[in-house]
Amino acid sequence: MSASLAPECNEVKERYDSCFLKWYSETDLPAEYLRGKGKTDECSALFKDYKHCLTSALKERGIDKMLEDAREDHKENDAANMRRGCEYMAMF
Amino acid sequence: MKVFSNSETFDYSWEEVSTANWRKYCPWNEKSTHVIAVDTLSRHVDAETGILRTERLITCKQSAPKWLASLMGGTDVSHVFETSYVDPESKKVTMVSQNLTWSNILSCQEKVVYQPLSATKTQFVQEAKVTALCGGWQKVKNAVEEATVCRFSENARLGKEGFETVLEMSRRVFSEEKLKQKKQTESVAL
Repeated sequence: MSASLAPECNEVKERYDSCFLKWYSETDLPAEYLRGKGKTDECSALFKDYKHCLTSALKERGIDKMLEDAREDHKENDAANMRRGCEYMAMF
Repeated sequence: MKVFSNSETFDYSWEEVSTANWRKYCPWNEKSTHVIAVDTLSRHVDAETGILRTERLITCKQSAPKWLASLMGGTDVSHVFETSYVDPESKKVTMVSQNLTWSNILSCQEKVVYQPLSATKTQFVQEAKVTALCGGWQKVKNAVEEATVCRFSENARLGKEGFETVLEMSRRVFSEEKLKQKKQTESVAL
């Protein structure tokens, strides 16, 4: 698995990534997803640990501010990609 | 503005490609060494559509041409923000990304889509829009855009080669894992 930008988060990240990948590869897509079985809950405790570590690392490096702006710009992508049956693309 | 587009076909199922995609930048990929870190910022499954939405922060380290590096403030580490959508029903992975670093002088927007061509083939379509925002000479802007597009195409070529290795390794590891599980169930059954 790839590293974290913050070496101190590598260990928790590795644990979360492995959990997610296992979930992703074992979930019967799309049936379980849609039945609501495919929730990422089993990895959520690990994600919480990882996120806790990452959030302070991003703050220290001043990346959190840049992210806020980018998130704002990405909102229109959600409109195009979070629904189905429409081939219109927001970006291009 | 300049546009870079590229499309490739992988001889793997969409399920395999979309799974391996999560570890595209792992140590198995010896080609895309410019990606030094991939962090997940948020992830959830939309209850209504079943679409998996993920935000990631990708950290790159890449030497730029000297003249460009000085324009960019001398740092060679950059960050990219990516939002991806996995639609399990229509079997479509869409990844949209945008540069965070140097965003005051250069805007790179990339969109990648993975869709099945058949049960054993997956298509990869990539499009990047590069716009130099720096004021001043058109010549400088053109050069900045051209250098960036050139790097994009180089990374795309290496990315394909590296991802092929990841796909091959994933297939091998998964089949070994399945065999192990099968053996375990068999021994339990006995």
